[in-house]
Amino acid sequence: MTQGAIELDGVAKAYGPTLALAPFTHRFEPGRVHALMGKNGSGKSTLIKILAGAVKPTLGRMTISGRPATFDSPVDAFKAGIVTVHQELSLVPVLSVGENIYLGRLPHRRVLGRSVVDWPRVHADATRLLHGMGLDIDSKAPVGSLSVGQQQVVEIVKAMSFEPAILLLDEPTSALASREVELLFDLVRRLRSGGVTMIYITHRMNELFEIADTCTVLRDGRAVGTTAMAATTPDGIVDMMFGDIARAVRPPRRAATRGAPVLTVRGLTRAGAFADVSFDLHRGEVLGFAGLLGAGRTEVLRAVFGADPFDTGTIAVDGNEVRHPSLRRMKALGVGYTPENRKEAGLVQVRSVHDNLCLASLGRIARHGFINRAREKPFVDRQIEGLAIKVPDAQLPVSSLSGGNQQKIVIGNWLNTRPRIMFFDEPSRGIDVQAKQQIFDIMWREAAGGLSSVFVSSEPEELLEVADRIVVMRLGRIVAEVLPSAVTLAELYRLCMEGRPS
Amino acid sequence: MSDTAHRVAWTKQRRVGTTMLKIYTMEAILLVIVVVLVVFAPGFATLGNFFNVLRTVSMLGIIAFGMTAVIIAGEIDLSVGAAVALAGCVVAWFSGALSPRIGSVAAVALGVLVAMAIGFLTGVFTGSMRRWFNVPTFITTLALFTALRGAANLITGGFPLTDLPDWFGFLGAGDLVGVPFPVYVFLTVFVLMHVLMKFTSFGRAVYAVGGNAEAARLSGIDVFFVKTMTLAITGVLTAVTGTLIASQIGSGTGNTATGMELDVIAATIIGGTSLFGGKGRVWGTLLGVLLLGCITNGMTLLDVSEYWQYVVRGAIILGAVLLNQVLESAGR
Repeated sequence: MTQGAIELDGVAKAYGPTLALAPFTHRFEPGRVHALMGKNGSGKSTLIKILAGAVKPTLGRMTISGRPATFDSPVDAFKAGIVTVHQELSLVPVLSVGENIYLGRLPHRRVLGRSVVDWPRVHADATRLLHGMGLDIDSKAPVGSLSVGQQQVVEIVKAMSFEPAILLLDEPTSALASREVELLFDLVRRLRSGGVTMIYITHRMNELFEIADTCTVLRDGRAVGTTAMAATTPDGIVDMMFGDIARAVRPPRRAATRGAPVLTVRGLTRAGAFADVSFDLHRGEVLGFAGLLGAGRTEVLRAVFGADPFDTGTIAVDGNEVRHPSLRRMKALGVGYTPENRKEAGLVQVRSVHDNLCLASLGRIARHGFINRAREKPFVDRQIEGLAIKVPDAQLPVSSLSGGNQQKIVIGNWLNTRPRIMFFDEPSRGIDVQAKQQIFDIMWREAAGGLSSVFVSSEPEELLEVADRIVVMRLGRIVAEVLPSAVTLAELYRLCMEGRPS
Repeated sequence: MSDTAHRVAWTKQRRVGTTMLKIYTMEAILLVIVVVLVVFAPGFATLGNFFNVLRTVSMLGIIAFGMTAVIIAGEIDLSVGAAVALAGCVVAWFSGALSPRIGSVAAVALGVLVAMAIGFLTGVFTGSMRRWFNVPTFITTLALFTALRGAANLITGGFPLTDLPDWFGFLGAGDLVGVPFPVYVFLTVFVLMHVLMKFTSFGRAVYAVGGNAEAARLSGIDVFFVKTMTLAITGVLTAVTGTLIASQIGSGTGNTATGMELDVIAATIIGGTSLFGGKGRVWGTLLGVLLLGCITNGMTLLDVSEYWQYVVRGAIILGAVLLNQVLESAGR
């Protein structure tokens, strides 16, 4: 049986001198669920994009369902029977389930000589499709009224309405609660018994053992190997993912000192986002927050910072409980926050470097509400110099700067408020290696000066390098607290993925 | 190395060049138009006509400075024309109703204060609708656009209220040391708003809020307070203009200042303020107001038909925005 089989013969992708995917030869058996594992940048997205026709391989041959295939565009992959379900939903919330499934190809009929949409048929077809997959979802319900899990399932039903032989699922569970994951798994199992081949990307180890038949591990663009799930253990997978790097030593750095706790969070809970989060932040400490995307780290920090509400729990600064913490109250207590999405939430792009560096400290530098550029200038210069921001003129708009320099301005904006506690949310995302190192140096330097900081990163390597102590969040809860010296990279990854030590 | 340095210097120079061009475009255009009108429009270059232009533009200019803040904050106010009419009627009503009892000065003063309070509270109302119900200011002020004019006509009963003291006419039509009184008010408001937007932390906050509300909020700025205050300031300014116009025409009537909101917004936009928020200058609005005034006056002197005047003003609004966009992309 070849229907649904994917055969790759030396398929590779290079971007200039960079090898995104080394020649890969493999046969994905039809009618199975094949998991792809690997950390960010390991090449699994490249592989998926090649299969989806979004990227042309530099080398190699593909055979889909027994026929040689060359994809010039996603349309070709679609014609070969491959449909992709992306991580982001592509449904229109205000339209009905049936309408979404048949969007762009609604059946028509003629009424009084005019062509109109055949609504009864849309909903009849959609209902048949939904029931055929064991789903009790009303075809006429607006998609926006469904839960995220149901929407994800509708997305898959829509993909299946094209009757593909192969389904590519890119982290379909990343936004789902555990109960909704079950709904999705039921559907995946049903599709498998119907003979559909599925390629499944996930970061969650336990899902792998629950749903996948085989697992192919990629590392640094190379396929490390493929194993049947029945023949392996989580440790086996992690070993494949990290190999020797897992035992890399932590670079030498300053001795961690632990002062008195300046920030104490106890039992912080917001339904649907995070639950029972408790941690202490000590003076002069860099506390790492590890976890996968969507683990709830940003949500917790924003709630502590007063930017978002929470349901229950307490926050204390210097041992004094902060009642009704608002953003302005926390700021007055010396707390600062650099958001993960600096473009959307960290900077006023149309304003100058000068203005952006004085944003959070506006009230501090002003005298009786009046600002004076001459008074502000030392504050601006101090940050430009101290953070090594490369800018020819402080009056230029920040939009003209590189990502790394923009990130430094977000940080400088807060350092100008003389904070005692800083939350750095993914400060290293999307910036070059050198800027990254500079930002880590800044964090250490400020820590040595007494600043207590929380450092969120989705790259465990960075946390091991930068943090004095690491708490691990998973599915909205703190699942572990580790010292960087006492944990390996592989162990930290496993904690993030599974929430259990190996 | 020196090559790089040279290139950096050159890029910087070019940037400074486009920035200069961007900053002084409006000044240059206004200058050209004035020169053209001086040469070709009979009677344009007389002191009398000059003050005539200033008196005319003062009325809408006063509000345009407030509108500049509103638009920089990323909002809009469509109700200013109606608010002007309402303010005039309120002042006239107070004058008529209370002058016999407390004297005309006190009655008018009270009327002006009440009109200002109404303007302020209208702004607070619009801001609150935005804050608590997320109603766009476009919608709220569109509703106020009709509601306030209705309220003005309810006060007057549909007939102009003319029971105003004689001295009152000075405010809108009188001269002080040869200069029309509204021009003093106009320039005072200009200076106040210029200082507010450029030299206070409130002004800086307005720019930040309009440029990126989320970044401003995360920096600890009270976004809705800032937005609401710009609307409230504009509301107070409509009361100022309303009083001046009532004085000028000698009555409070519900039908004054129809369509003024469009002229006010047009002047603000011609002055380079971006409807996307975060960008604009009070000085630019002053130029926009003068430009609009000169063109209108010039066309009248040149005996251009009123209908053509509308077309030309439309072309100027679009042209100004296009010019800003082109300069913007050239600066990148």
